[in-house]
Amino acid sequence: MNIVLTLWRFIIEFLTVNAKPLLQIIVLPGLLWVIVYAIIAVWFERKFLARAMLRVGPYYCGGRFGWLQLIADFIKLFFKEMIIPKDVNTFFFLLMPVLLPSVPAMAVILIPFASDWVLWNVGSLGMPMFFAIAGIAPLVPIFTGWASNNKYTFIGAWRVAYMYISAEIPMVICAASVAIMVGSFDLVVIARAQEKMWFFIPQFIGFVIFFLGVMIESERTPFDMPGAETELVLGWRTEYSGVLYGFVMFTEYVMLQAWALMFLTLYLGGFNGPVFFGATTASHIFWLVIKFVLLVTLVILLRVVFPRLRMDQMLKLGWQYLTPLALLNLVVTLVLKLWGVY
Amino acid sequence: MGGVLMSFFKKLFKPFSTVLPYIFKRGQTVSYPTERPIFAERYRGRHKLYLDRCISCNTCARVCPCKSIELVEVEGMEGKYPQIDFNTCSLCGYCVEFCPKNALEFTDFVEFSEYDRSNLVYSPEQLTEIPDLKEVLPMLKRRTEIYLTETEIKFRKVKDV
Amino acid sequence: MTEPVIVPDIMRMSWGPQHPMSGQTRILLDIDGEKVHRIIADLGFTHRGIEKILENRTFLQGIIPVERMVMADTPNIGLGYVTAIEEALGIEVPERANWIRSMICEMARINSHLYAFGLQAESTGYFPAVFLWTTVDRTIILRLFEELTGARWSLNFFMPGGVHKDLPKGFEEKVIEGVEYLRRRFEEYWVAMVENATFELRCDNVGVLKPEDAIRLGATGPVLRGSGIPIDVRKDEPYAAYGDLDFEVITESACDSMARTKVRYREIGQSLNIMEQVANEIPSGPIRTNVPLFARAKAAEVLSRVESSRGELGVHLFTDGGMNPYRVKIHSPTLRNMYVFERLAELDEILVADIPVLINSIDPWYLDSDR
Repeated sequence: MNIVLTLWRFIIEFLTVNAKPLLQIIVLPGLLWVIVYAIIAVWFERKFLARAMLRVGPYYCGGRFGWLQLIADFIKLFFKEMIIPKDVNTFFFLLMPVLLPSVPAMAVILIPFASDWVLWNVGSLGMPMFFAIAGIAPLVPIFTGWASNNKYTFIGAWRVAYMYISAEIPMVICAASVAIMVGSFDLVVIARAQEKMWFFIPQFIGFVIFFLGVMIESERTPFDMPGAETELVLGWRTEYSGVLYGFVMFTEYVMLQAWALMFLTLYLGGFNGPVFFGATTASHIFWLVIKFVLLVTLVILLRVVFPRLRMDQMLKLGWQYLTPLALLNLVVTLVLKLWGVY
Repeated sequence: MGGVLMSFFKKLFKPFSTVLPYIFKRGQTVSYPTERPIFAERYRGRHKLYLDRCISCNTCARVCPCKSIELVEVEGMEGKYPQIDFNTCSLCGYCVEFCPKNALEFTDFVEFSEYDRSNLVYSPEQLTEIPDLKEVLPMLKRRTEIYLTETEIKFRKVKDV
Repeated sequence: MTEPVIVPDIMRMSWGPQHPMSGQTRILLDIDGEKVHRIIADLGFTHRGIEKILENRTFLQGIIPVERMVMADTPNIGLGYVTAIEEALGIEVPERANWIRSMICEMARINSHLYAFGLQAESTGYFPAVFLWTTVDRTIILRLFEELTGARWSLNFFMPGGVHKDLPKGFEEKVIEGVEYLRRRFEEYWVAMVENATFELRCDNVGVLKPEDAIRLGATGPVLRGSGIPIDVRKDEPYAAYGDLDFEVITESACDSMARTKVRYREIGQSLNIMEQVANEIPSGPIRTNVPLFARAKAAEVLSRVESSRGELGVHLFTDGGMNPYRVKIHSPTLRNMYVFERLAELDEILVADIPVLINSIDPWYLDSDR
């Protein structure tokens, strides 16, 4: 019995101290986390939406719940033919689906899951790194749309350009307000500073703007007009088939994950929460995962309730409403900081 | 201005109250081949022919709009009897309605797909019998029918195959 | 110095047959950025030559191909053809048959409008929740059809002289139960769709069709009534039992896509009222007059008009004394409305994102424009 306990303690210590980066890369927040989350999220979305539409969703694969359906779909995609049209720019056409999930995944690894569980701890460059990667993110769909040499994808590509620009500016200003309030760009420090009070209370305007921004940046309804099914067959994703289609669809969830985790860290307390049994790291990770699951459920629910906006209405929202409100938020934060409230 | 804003927020949150109850309702699907709906009495499924009632008057062939009925000889009986080509039959019901002796009638058998088009031309002998449902659908467990409640349409599972 | 002329850089996009939302048609759009400069509707993908087929079928047999011109609304088109034949042959229809005909036509109208309502919701990107709810509610009407006629949409229930069969026992109670259930569901649709902030943003002021343009271009059906003009064949030239029934012609004055959707929505309410009236007050009597199976008509030219759910449908029948008609010309409501749709690009500013909303507010059914 003693030997088993010592062995168990040795393994845990080895994993969490010596081989910790390996564990982080492979399990959390690395490869397995992203893939398993995508599989569960797609299954959950299909079942949830099917319920709202009075259907049953995946039913046969995996014993009445259909949880094996996703794996079956992914394996099927491997066996399908990859159709590459004749006049496309082949290099970009084949390269982009590989880049599409990788760029948001690079942003996921910056988020702290606990005070000492960050895969890439860049210290006080955390927030600028995140937004630098987010700045590259629109380029990939635009390239994809251009490289496919198709009228539908072209329209989808320029819609992406308009939409992302008009959404990112207010979001960066709001994130800057949070950083001013805390006094540091380090994501771990921002998350730790919310131990007493989560930041959505003092920064309420920024909370609403950033939430809208999360949905805009990950192209979820009501903001999914670059991939509007009823007008442009699939927008910038139209020409893909086979495994490339699998990557392209997978990327939607990775983008949602990156932005949702950032949103939680900035406004909803990150990994803070009551601690169980003195195991700080594990309970912090647990709380972040729970909040993340609830946020993803809310975003999926919004898909059922609202139709999508039109492009000019989206631009009006971004420039006429979100940007002035974000600037107002910044001014208020600066004034309160100068007065010494924070 | 305040009124416009209030009505906008109301319109933003009200649709949730309609959508959320649906998440807790049961799906309205009949999982065919384990379940099969119960059809109405007058349902127009495949035909059934009564050879002893037919008098070979040719009305069904003349009135068929798709020209799918042809009278052919049958072994061991006098006169000619209808042969129906289900490739073109639209199940409209004229032959059943206008037969003077009610020799043709509709059943609720609908599982007659074939792999070969020539198998869909049913001779008079084939028209007289309807295959057993248990042989055609071995996985069938129950029949369903719908009924209305206050808020939704429900499926009643009648456990009778 | 001359003024610089801005020449728009036009791209011709084909909102084509291979599309998740286009239906069985191809619409060519000349677009410049997001603005649509010209719409060309390229119809004819589902042409089956029904008018020619009808020349080789007798009057009774011809009802079957005519019904295949629509799917959701078959009784209305069948009724158009049958009333034309009855006028050519000089047949009187008993009163009970007329009342049954009205009830079935109104049930089909509800069926078709619920389908159009769901499609309109789906076209704005509203993930097909409302469309599937309306599909589930149409189950009731389809179930009633199945009990009455034996089929869910290819009803084949009208014949020259009356209807095929009488109402089964207990049918009136089932109709009333169905009507009450549909009325309760109605309120929910209003809240989920029309009082939805984003849906209003998408549909308001899209495709404004002024009344004088609507009349000049020949719109018909809910498109015309959505611009405030109260023209309805059921009131102008009553056929079947509509002269005895009590209902209103719904118009809206806003002239945009939202108005057309609201017209359809309220017409469902009126149809439910008519169904209830028929179920409560239907007179008894014979259900058909005897007409020979292969009747011959004298030489005549007949025009009959009915109000299908998409607009006014006309059947122009020429007979010459034989068992088959000499020529049948069907005036289709969708064809007239598609002409209006094409001209909307010149009358109003339309963006690409408005095209699905606009098309589904006009509610075309390409099977009857192509015949």
